[in-house]
Amino acid sequence: MIEAQALTKRYGPTTAVDGLSFTALPGTVTGFLGPNGAGKSTTMRLVLGLERPTSGTVTIGGRRYADLDAPLRTVGAMLDARSVHPGRTAFRHLLALARTHGIPRSRVDEVIGMTGLESVAGRRVKGFSLGMSQRLGIAAALLGDPGTLMLDEPVNGLDPDGVLWVRKLVRDLAAEGRTVFLSSHLMHELALCADRVVIIGRGRLLADASMPEILHQSERAGLVRVRTSDPALLVPALLQLGGDVVAQQDDVLHVRHVSLEDVGVAAGRAGATVLELAAEAGSLEEAYLRLTADSVQYQAGGAR
Amino acid sequence: MTTLTVTGPSLPRVIAAEWTKLLGLRSSTIVVVVTAAVSGLVTYLSANASSGDPGFDPLDSLTTGLPVAVIGPLVLGVLVGTGEFSTGMFRSTFAAVPRRLPVLVAQVVVTTALALLAAVLAVAAAVVGILPPASSRGITPDLLSEGTPQSLLGAGGFLVGAALFGLAAGALLRRTLPALLATIVVTLVLPVVLLLASELASDPLAASASNTVPTRTAVVNTIITFTPTGAGSLLTEPSSSGVDGAPNIGALGAALVLAAWVFVPLGAAALRLRRRDLV
Repeated sequence: MIEAQALTKRYGPTTAVDGLSFTALPGTVTGFLGPNGAGKSTTMRLVLGLERPTSGTVTIGGRRYADLDAPLRTVGAMLDARSVHPGRTAFRHLLALARTHGIPRSRVDEVIGMTGLESVAGRRVKGFSLGMSQRLGIAAALLGDPGTLMLDEPVNGLDPDGVLWVRKLVRDLAAEGRTVFLSSHLMHELALCADRVVIIGRGRLLADASMPEILHQSERAGLVRVRTSDPALLVPALLQLGGDVVAQQDDVLHVRHVSLEDVGVAAGRAGATVLELAAEAGSLEEAYLRLTADSVQYQAGGAR
Repeated sequence: MTTLTVTGPSLPRVIAAEWTKLLGLRSSTIVVVVTAAVSGLVTYLSANASSGDPGFDPLDSLTTGLPVAVIGPLVLGVLVGTGEFSTGMFRSTFAAVPRRLPVLVAQVVVTTALALLAAVLAVAAAVVGILPPASSRGITPDLLSEGTPQSLLGAGGFLVGAALFGLAAGALLRRTLPALLATIVVTLVLPVVLLLASELASDPLAASASNTVPTRTAVVNTIITFTPTGAGSLLTEPSSSGVDGAPNIGALGAALVLAAWVFVPLGAAALRLRRRDLV
């Protein structure tokens, strides 16, 4: 379990993390989202004690990282795939980390197997692709069989197979009762594997909620999309049901406050031909964009 | 999956980890081999060049390779000191050892060990280097003669000290190029510049006229004595009474000077490591 309480980090006049409080629970995949420069990486470095908070605390299972007896056994982290000396082989890198905790060589081989690095383990990291480095970072995080995993952009640079593998891995780890805390810019990916979402902007907490709650914030949540050749028949029927109808291009109607089934039934009764009928799920991306609209630091298209 | 019973990082474990890291780099092996080779070669060339002199004593050439060979241990130390920060490795290392200082201590231990190996090989290579010129004159060098064992010991100590100086500077500066430049300037360039300054400061006519050492020469020579190289040459010449006008600090004093060049920057590096954020 990761618990941040009023976590604050300032660099001179800049506040990177501002009174941030959140909890990442065991058995749960918690997604960590925010625009570039929102303070995600700083927060993760604070968790690992690489940086010290200006004020506030962040603990793992109630203890500060620096006070953990066996850090790698408690928390496995991948902050940056390039947290490796490029002159060493993947195996050496993992073996050196293992030695700090007396982790046996067999476990090093095991995580190499789990991450599919067998064929490149004896090669120097210098020649690794981003995807291979990413796998090595995940291998290092798994090394101590930790109860908490913290992964910064784990699917960055992975091929579709790798993305699928990470999705299954984090789901499995959470199913085993571990705490999984991961950041990603890939909303679609996160929507598929996270149970909860923590969203920050300019160092402040914007949302800390379950995935369904977040999706509910999306504009499209609860929207029914229907395409009909007879809008003149269908629209009055829907209005009668208390629906909120907005006509779109190509005979598409966006309907609110009427369920998918009721739209279908109404169309049948009105004798309107339905060409397409679908419930629009809320998207994490939309919810995220709404929540962070005010806190994007670097916006494309003109000075701000 | 194996069930792991894992306990945290202890100093012996961190040392084992740093040793694994050190031997995992190709540069470590290269440095040891090159140091020994350069030491042997330069000593041989120097002994060979003076083998025609009437009073040729091959033992005089024994430490002539040292000023060049010392670059090896310096580079070794600098690479250990900066290796964490010039790459992103520090994030992995200090996440595994959040108390941080054991890592620096372990780096001192493993650098000393490998530099010791390099030093033994370099000194052995130097001994081998004087053999052909010696035999060409029919001389069998006596390594146990007055002062020679001390000189060889001093040469080894100087090489190990240089590696630790490199480590300390590297750990403090964290970037390879500035650390290499700084240590090479201090150990190799500075002594040459000071010698030149000493030459320029002294008036050859005045010096020959009286036995007193001019003040400016004395000042420059005193500074030389307190550089790593000056201290190193005192270590390798145990019988010398120091340079003109400089206090005679002896082999023990020279060792202390070398130690100061290691421990002052190392202390500063430890303070920086302990106190500051690792970004």
